[in-house]
Amino acid sequence: MAATQTTDRLGTLAERARAIVGPVWVLSDPAQLSTYECDGLTNQRERPGLVVLPASTDEVAAVVRACHELGIPFVARGAGSGLSGGAMPRAEGVVIGLARMREILAVDLPNRRVTVQPGVTNLAITEAVAPHGFYYAPDPSSQQVCTIGGNLAENAGGAHCLKYGFTVNHALSAVVVLADGAVVRLGADAPDAPGLDLLGVLIGSEGTCGIVTEAVVGILPKPQHVETLVAFFDTVEEGGETVSAIISAGIVPAAVEMMDRLAIEAARAVTKMDWDAESALIVELDGPESEVRSQFEAVTRICAAHHAREVRVAASPAERAAIWTARKSAFAAAGRLAPAYRVQDGVIPRTRLPEVLRGIAALSERYGLRVANVFHAGDGNLHPLVLYDSAVPEQVEQSEELAMAIVALCVEFGGSITGEHGVGTEKACSMPKMFDGDDLTAFDRVRGAFDPDGLCNPDKLLPTPRLCGEVPGFHRVHPVERAGLGDRL
Amino acid sequence: MGLVEDLAADLGPARVRPGGPDDAIGGRVPAAVAEPLSPEAVAAVLARAGRDGLAVRVRGGGTKQSWSAPPERLDVVLSTRALHRLIDHAPGDMTCVAEAGMPLAALQAAIADVTTHRQRLMLDPPGGAEATLGGVLATAAAGPRRVRYGTPRDLVIGARYVTGDGLAAKTGGRVVKNVAGYDVAKLLIGSHGSLAVITEVALKLHPLPDAARTVVLRDPDPDRAAAFCDAVRGAPITPALVEAAWPEGLVLVRVESTEEGAAAQVERLRGLGPVEELDEVAADALTADLAARAWAGTGPVLAVGVVPDRLADLLRAARDAGATLVARAPVCAGELALPDDDPDRAARLIDAVRALGGSVQLRRGGEDLRALVRTAPEPAVLRLEAALKDRLDPHGVLAGAAR
Repeated sequence: MAATQTTDRLGTLAERARAIVGPVWVLSDPAQLSTYECDGLTNQRERPGLVVLPASTDEVAAVVRACHELGIPFVARGAGSGLSGGAMPRAEGVVIGLARMREILAVDLPNRRVTVQPGVTNLAITEAVAPHGFYYAPDPSSQQVCTIGGNLAENAGGAHCLKYGFTVNHALSAVVVLADGAVVRLGADAPDAPGLDLLGVLIGSEGTCGIVTEAVVGILPKPQHVETLVAFFDTVEEGGETVSAIISAGIVPAAVEMMDRLAIEAARAVTKMDWDAESALIVELDGPESEVRSQFEAVTRICAAHHAREVRVAASPAERAAIWTARKSAFAAAGRLAPAYRVQDGVIPRTRLPEVLRGIAALSERYGLRVANVFHAGDGNLHPLVLYDSAVPEQVEQSEELAMAIVALCVEFGGSITGEHGVGTEKACSMPKMFDGDDLTAFDRVRGAFDPDGLCNPDKLLPTPRLCGEVPGFHRVHPVERAGLGDRL
Repeated sequence: MGLVEDLAADLGPARVRPGGPDDAIGGRVPAAVAEPLSPEAVAAVLARAGRDGLAVRVRGGGTKQSWSAPPERLDVVLSTRALHRLIDHAPGDMTCVAEAGMPLAALQAAIADVTTHRQRLMLDPPGGAEATLGGVLATAAAGPRRVRYGTPRDLVIGARYVTGDGLAAKTGGRVVKNVAGYDVAKLLIGSHGSLAVITEVALKLHPLPDAARTVVLRDPDPDRAAAFCDAVRGAPITPALVEAAWPEGLVLVRVESTEEGAAAQVERLRGLGPVEELDEVAADALTADLAARAWAGTGPVLAVGVVPDRLADLLRAARDAGATLVARAPVCAGELALPDDDPDRAARLIDAVRALGGSVQLRRGGEDLRALVRTAPEPAVLRLEAALKDRLDPHGVLAGAAR
């Protein structure tokens, strides 16, 4: 019965959607729908009931209004490069794909801002303003493909957010289609507008508060000078302590990245570099030339004082690019070390780096699975890569357990279950590790204010019985948990 | 029993007293002033308010009550002043956690040990030594340093809060990078205590610079002063403050960097206009004078913001209205002080700022002026704000208003 009703409603929606966006932009063929069954978190899949590809704010609003009237859940999708399942659809739901909305609408250099449609890629913004000496600061690793709509939904960061902040620090305003299809502009052109910071809470809400159909983002002048070095250490601890020493010296680098031996080996397998050390630390400084030069000297001295075996300074833009290629290739290169791997995303206070890395090594040993560590060391954002063999069923399960144990370790050290990938479906059931029942209840109230009917990307971000099995609503904490005798994952 | 006795039963007699004339907000004297010692006690006050239909206004240092609309009813002033502990300072992580009633000045003193840490919370809002962290957040107050470091929304990494119906919850965390959960802190910042009582704040700190140098340009021509500010913005300079002040046509630029970096940036500034460098004493004195200037009289004060390329127009609007303006030039946000209560003058100025696409908020002034400043948001925005209020303060006990 219920299934038939769902099919009928989807049929009605498909009909209305065809009238709104044109028949070719509504996909209902199972083969086509399969393309949309997951995002970058590929181990969780669900084929959507329908895919609609609108071309304007009005079309998005009309489709959302139709979903709202028919009680059909919907999820917005940009490039589908997210890593936490934020764009995963529901079988009885609709994917609203924003790939057709990819125009840069305005470039306002005097006021340093760009107006874009949500399907514009992160890198395209920088490319559009680079000839004028500007760039868009947030730089997630996927910046060539990920879209600004997704960046806003996830509050995307990147290697340089240590100094420059996240998407939320650069977005000025957005046109948003709310869960009932109403269209609003949140934020404003001028600073200090009265009223609640609705844009601030929408950013990072993982598509649960509405769909951004237009955004105004700030751009920055390219720094006058950039210096980059890579330092090699005989222990991971020395690398970690060097990070703390740089920060304690009052220096705020543009980026501080670290790789351990396994990550270095992975990168070596796919690039021409010859790095060989227990840990490699990449430090980049940018800003006015004289400031950068004096601070860079200090960083070099700090590396030496912490027993860096070798410090290589990029002498040219090509050498800088080579250092970053090595760093950025580590993810993909992990595929050379094992048949499969999971990317984890956790945060710790940056001073706890050495202890947490020892903890990860111990977990790795206990589970008998190798873990390669690549991380944004400057802000304590770890990306452990758990290596496993997908052909061995118990390894699939163990790798998942190990990945979640690492996240639990981060929380134990006062950190977070996610620094930039988001909660999505992947970590919704881990939210109680970090937040108690009252915290989650308050989150749910915020969500309910934006989406009282629960149709806007449901089953993401917060634990639900559907996702997490017996997790029983928000208010109840099991006595076993309260006594610290056990917890849920 | 009376309200004071009721609250004393909840909190202990030492934490409650009858309200007096000094506690009045918008001319209303509260029946009681409660000073809870813990988030649980905050929740107890709010729970009683919900049961008894009381109106509660949150107060920190009491320096910015005029920034918010006055309450329509007022039974209890909930003072956060007893929540004043520094809970954690992690110098190596450049973060700290403090209770909301801690004065900003006390926090700065506690974390800026010159010999060991040399760090600072880069917020310098109006309100002097009395302003508390919670009040600064609730009013989204920022000062000159926002040019480089942003406003409270850019520096808060987590918070604990008690909703209007007494739910004690947290958002964010203690680490500088974190996307787990809704960023409820963004909603609380600038909410004027209308959604919840902030009880604890986690903040991102920055290092104190090695060297600071300050230059001043004096040019009474709005176009030339604005052109200089624009040139500063376009140059390889990362100033900590760029304050433009009217009527005298003064632009103060302070660079903070390494010794070499600051020296080189001052040289750059000399190339951009006929600037004069101030020694440290003179620079600090002028900076303090500018910070106090808009608040010096007793007349109305407006907060205004326009897009950066309208700075010259904003300076002209101030000149034409005979107003005092002190603005953060690169972000084009600042305070406008009116010389008197003349409603026509105020209306002309507000219209002029609005004509530039700008924003206007009342910081000090009468209710007639507040009515002039108030704008109606889009209906869907109003609905969202009302829905958040309904869900976070379902009994409507918090007598703050975000607009």
